[in-house]
Amino acid sequence: MNDPSNHTKGAAGVSRREFLRGSGAGVAATALAHAPGVGLLEADTPKAKTDAVPAIGPAPATVKLTVNGAKMTYAVEPRVTLLDLLRNHLDVTGCKRVCDRGSCGACTVILDGKPVYSCTLLALEAQGREVKTAEALAADGRLDAVPAAFVKHDAQQCGFCTPGFVVSLRAALDHNPKATPAEIEEALSGNICRCGTYEQMRHAIADLCGKKGE
Amino acid sequence: MPNTWPKERRLLGTRVQRLDGPEKATGRARYSLDVNRPGMLHASILRCPHAHARIKGLDVTAARKMPGVKAIHVIVVPTETGTVVKADGNAVVVTVGMGDKAKERTLKVGPGLWLFRESKVVKPTDLQADDRITFQVEEEAVGRELFYAGDEVAAVACDTEEHAADAVRAIKVEYELLDALVTENDALANDLKTVPPFGNKNDRNNVRLLKEEKNDDIDEAFKKAEVVHEGEYGAATINHHCLEPHGLVAEWDKDGGLTLWASTQAVAGVADTAAKVFAVPALKVKCITHYMGGGYGSKFAPEVEGITAIELARKAKAPVKLFLGRADEVVLGGNRPSAYAKVKIGATRDGKVVAYFCDTWGTPGIANGATVGPLPYVYEFPSKHTRVSAVRLNTAMMRAMRAPGHPQSCLLTDCPLDDLAAKLGIDPMQVRLKNLPENDADAAKNFPQSYNAMRHTLYSEQMKIAARLSDWEKRWRPPGKGERKGPIKHGMGMALHTWGGQASFPNDVQVTISSDGSVLVESSTQDLGTGERTVLAIVVAEVLGLEPKDVTLHIGESQYGRSGGSGGSTTCPGTAPVAYMAALAARDDLFDKIATRLKGKKEDLAIEPGKIVDKGANKKYPWKEACARLGMDTVIGKPAANDAALKQGVSELSNVKVGGVQVAEVLVDTETGVVRCTRVVAVQDCGLVVNKLGCESQVAGGVIMGVNYALFEERVMDRHTGRQVNADMEFYKLGGIKDMPEVVVHMYDMPERGVIGIGEPPTISTAAAIGNAIFNAIGARVAYAPYTPERVLEALVKA
Repeated sequence: MNDPSNHTKGAAGVSRREFLRGSGAGVAATALAHAPGVGLLEADTPKAKTDAVPAIGPAPATVKLTVNGAKMTYAVEPRVTLLDLLRNHLDVTGCKRVCDRGSCGACTVILDGKPVYSCTLLALEAQGREVKTAEALAADGRLDAVPAAFVKHDAQQCGFCTPGFVVSLRAALDHNPKATPAEIEEALSGNICRCGTYEQMRHAIADLCGKKGE
Repeated sequence: MPNTWPKERRLLGTRVQRLDGPEKATGRARYSLDVNRPGMLHASILRCPHAHARIKGLDVTAARKMPGVKAIHVIVVPTETGTVVKADGNAVVVTVGMGDKAKERTLKVGPGLWLFRESKVVKPTDLQADDRITFQVEEEAVGRELFYAGDEVAAVACDTEEHAADAVRAIKVEYELLDALVTENDALANDLKTVPPFGNKNDRNNVRLLKEEKNDDIDEAFKKAEVVHEGEYGAATINHHCLEPHGLVAEWDKDGGLTLWASTQAVAGVADTAAKVFAVPALKVKCITHYMGGGYGSKFAPEVEGITAIELARKAKAPVKLFLGRADEVVLGGNRPSAYAKVKIGATRDGKVVAYFCDTWGTPGIANGATVGPLPYVYEFPSKHTRVSAVRLNTAMMRAMRAPGHPQSCLLTDCPLDDLAAKLGIDPMQVRLKNLPENDADAAKNFPQSYNAMRHTLYSEQMKIAARLSDWEKRWRPPGKGERKGPIKHGMGMALHTWGGQASFPNDVQVTISSDGSVLVESSTQDLGTGERTVLAIVVAEVLGLEPKDVTLHIGESQYGRSGGSGGSTTCPGTAPVAYMAALAARDDLFDKIATRLKGKKEDLAIEPGKIVDKGANKKYPWKEACARLGMDTVIGKPAANDAALKQGVSELSNVKVGGVQVAEVLVDTETGVVRCTRVVAVQDCGLVVNKLGCESQVAGGVIMGVNYALFEERVMDRHTGRQVNADMEFYKLGGIKDMPEVVVHMYDMPERGVIGIGEPPTISTAAAIGNAIFNAIGARVAYAPYTPERVLEALVKA
């Protein structure tokens, strides 16, 4: 599946037009423009360092990343999002695919300490980085304070948006352990719930802010 | 078996945390969308981009050659049945039709011909004369009519999602465009007959009068009315927007069995349907839904996408995952139909309504059916005239959405009532009290706890509580005269609702007690996030003297027996009494089996929390110690077959119809038209509360969904392309946490009524209460929800 010869050509080997044709999605080009230019393919592409713009794909490229503490390697087409890499290929399904275009927050993961929408990042952008999903909040069987507060106050119904909310909230408290409920609500305004669990979520937030996020 | 709930309740009605809460909150709960099977393929559907078209040509040759393609299925082609006359590598001759209509057909063998015997794909050379087969001929796609933008054409299954997206684009379709109508006003102006034929008469009319009811004395009644008000009311079509999309993972096994991981509200129903469609023995089909990411009434059947996944799985001989993408989920995953109306309402000076006229229309999409519920709603008026029309459009068909028809009926009744109250100069709460239906004395004779027997008392009491919790007496002011801060005006509004919530039957529940004291509950019923797992655990733990967490739940798999779909708020009332009976049966079986081993009599045994008590010997045994006496035995409890108490429908175990009252508060910015809902008080009856924490969360959720309906949600159709322009989550507005009011929930507990469903009722009256609050704030009626800034400003200009 991962044929190295296909992605060691470098920029000289594959034109931008060919790259776009191969990857199919315009979003790939846009996102790639924002991606760090160097190190996308790590040791796989020694040529990339000498070329001005590393060319990747359309064949699968290897991504190495750490997910919830475990090192993982997988080869995916460059157009594959971080969300789809996690869900479809690495079987990490706590991040949910809902809107798939950065509007609902169900896919929120923590990337090197910051909450991000994993549907708007390419898998390749997570090269060498550390990803944490909601699953990490019950490591060693101990429930983190945020999901625990959600359970206590029944701040979830169907639960499909919940891991996204929980991850966003955890990140907000990590960023500012003294955050007020209003600040937490601001931090959660990029997440959408359809069942309408916001009232119970507020109870959970009040509880967590009272405890200073411990 | 007793047919009443225990009078002293240790767990029932308390606040119990949902048992699957930790799994769900940490992303460990595996939803059907999260299922990845070894060798699983990903599928994608090609849909008609036009609102109304006929297929002139379809070519899948190029698609077949695309990377990763494992199977293609042409959805528009019907599966036909025939008997083989003869078959070879070039052609299959079959007899189709029965009796006089029987005729021979020659099917040309090629990549476009699919043959199935006993639900499996077969080669023509495998066939023998007299074999009963089904078949699909891809060329028959030509000439098929497609009725809305999103209608299914064909599907592919590939090794990756990305390849599926590429391959589906490689299918070539040529369309002949036909006349289409996608807005109610266009169809009302010019009925082009653009929808699928309906009924025997091949009726393709877009606009159909479905029902007209008229009291003979209606004109007389309006003449007698001292005050008459006329106005327009209604709400736009909204989409279900389930966060987990519709779809399933299908896997055939070597023995012809089929396993489905579906996102469904009806585990047993989906298994049944799949068995019928693919002619598989029912017991060889298993449907699994351990967790479900939102349905709200839209997920009862496998639907086209589910059937397509199963079809692709049998053609590709590999598991197939097919879930709708967001845009498709929005467009065709379900919608609550619009309802617009001209309403005329007349009353005496003291606020007693004497006449009600309502001419209402809305769109069921390509379906045909009413888009409203009862009219008038909750109240009874002495004389009425109602006309209900369907405006059929080239849009996806409506589906049941959380209390189908009721939020619309509530808007068409409770909003005119407030406008009438304003004209009369009376507090609208007093007008409501004056027009409540009386308690029905006959109903009281049969069953004093029934809704009809107590409805007047129920609503009067609930209104009092709602008024107290919202400080109505002090804070309500006549329309336009409320508190204000610069251009921002405060308003309060009230509305009432009702819903059935009667138990659905049959439901099978089995309780097993093991000799180590562990307890297992098995049922095919599903937990959509309603807390159904926890409901069953509470009921069983109550009977056996345990804690809910001591009970293991195996639900959401069709092999555990019969269960109704979770719709109509029927699941908790349908299963809680059965679980109760099963637990009692298990308890009795346990007593039978251990009494002599404890050297006691079974009549003397009783349960106390964590213990079994021998009243004769005055001895107490810890639960586990008592269960250990089972030795090699196991206890299995099921309700007695055909238990009368479970078939009654209305009993002390489970009743029908609830009442609820809501009061909404809003702040309206009269310069920008922006409405902010700041607080909603919801008073709700649901009979015996099983889990108070779960009930409160259902009610608050219903209110929040109602706030979205009132202020933000609207399906917007482009009348030129016939497509929905906001099939996403950025231009289809759903409120976030900062957009939501404080929600004050008051559970009006009536344990004597038994268990009644709670899912639907609390979302019904929110929009009408908000509509009335806006009217109260600005003194002008905004006719149609969602009450957007544009519509608010328009109403202010008109006033």
